[in-house]
Amino acid sequence: MNFRDMFIALVLIGIMTTTGNVIGYNMPAGEAAIGYAIMLIITLLGVGLTHVIPIKLPMVFWVSIVALLVTSPISPIATTITFYTSKVDFLALCTPILAYAGLAIGKDLEAFKKMSWKIIVVALAVYTGTFLCATAIAQIMLHFEGLI
Amino acid sequence: MDILKNWRIHCIAFIIVIVCEWIGAKKIPLGPGVLLFLPMLYAMVIGGILSVPKLKVVKTAEMNLASAILGITTLMLVTKLGTVIGPLVVKVAQSGLALSLQELGHFLGTVILGLPIAIALGLGREAIGATFSIDREPNIAIISEKYGLSSPEGRGVMSIYICGTLFGAVWLGLLAGYLAALGIFHPYALAMGAGVGSGSMMAAASGAIKSVFPDKANEILMYAGASNLLTTIIGIYFSLFVSLPVTEKLYTLLKPILGRKNDSKEADA
Repeated sequence: MNFRDMFIALVLIGIMTTTGNVIGYNMPAGEAAIGYAIMLIITLLGVGLTHVIPIKLPMVFWVSIVALLVTSPISPIATTITFYTSKVDFLALCTPILAYAGLAIGKDLEAFKKMSWKIIVVALAVYTGTFLCATAIAQIMLHFEGLI
Repeated sequence: MDILKNWRIHCIAFIIVIVCEWIGAKKIPLGPGVLLFLPMLYAMVIGGILSVPKLKVVKTAEMNLASAILGITTLMLVTKLGTVIGPLVVKVAQSGLALSLQELGHFLGTVILGLPIAIALGLGREAIGATFSIDREPNIAIISEKYGLSSPEGRGVMSIYICGTLFGAVWLGLLAGYLAALGIFHPYALAMGAGVGSGSMMAAASGAIKSVFPDKANEILMYAGASNLLTTIIGIYFSLFVSLPVTEKLYTLLKPILGRKNDSKEADA
């Protein structure tokens, strides 16, 4: 996907997010729109860095680094940025993204129909295992460190 | 690929979002906990139903576009979580030890629970590809390089990948919401567990935990985001250099014990 398409996709998700944000979470539309625009700029900066910097690390890494830096205590604009970005509810952002995830499902349905029930059980075990084992270790460690 | 030429799919998505947010979150008691249904789960299910090829609502080109958009927009989740972590970065550092060690749970949890079940159900070497990791895109690349995707290991990884695309987020959202409501685990521990390394699954799981503990929303997103970042970045190397060899070893070890007789040729992945 080229930069132009990426930008359009993110703007479309932005329109849906801010609309859902008003309907579902009673957030102010104007401030949330500014918050989303800031997040869009951060994302595009991160994507840009991935292409510019020769060390090969995933986009997720660079996008996170930019988002962390501009909102961390060392950033002079941190409070302004988080004032607006906090108006975009995380759940409001998830809904359009998972709507697209759902709309893409059809192309995998044929392959899925050919699978046996056994592999579905294994899939559930795989997802449960990763979530549960990490949660259990985190619980023990947080308790051990006196953080909870 | 012209993103606006397929404008219909965006209209469908927009309508889904409006309807789902309008319905809002619903809780249904089940045993000692509750099943938490969030708008994002309805959105995925409604989208999935509309995309069934027989209904002819969504065309294949539109599905491919939706899939491409999904890849890009999960980055916005990463950005959102980054802006939550930023102001609390000192707090994240304080829990560095817990965050690092729980990653072992993410990396090996798939094998610990998945592999014995896969072998007991009679899967062959599919079990290795299926359970060595959470089987998202980077993990497919690892299996593809080592065994090829038409090998049993390749079929295993692809099968779990497709299952993950279809119901991974819904499953983890319900599971995380249920566990959170049960009150066995602390919300911070659950939040770290939610960082499984897939954008949509992490979103569903952490969103559910956040809905059960709204007063701890920021910390929950912070831990989930930090954990997800670690899982995504370190996970690529860990699954290549540790998980895959360990899974292979365990497979040869467990197959004679747990596996059924005469099913070595069975390949029903």
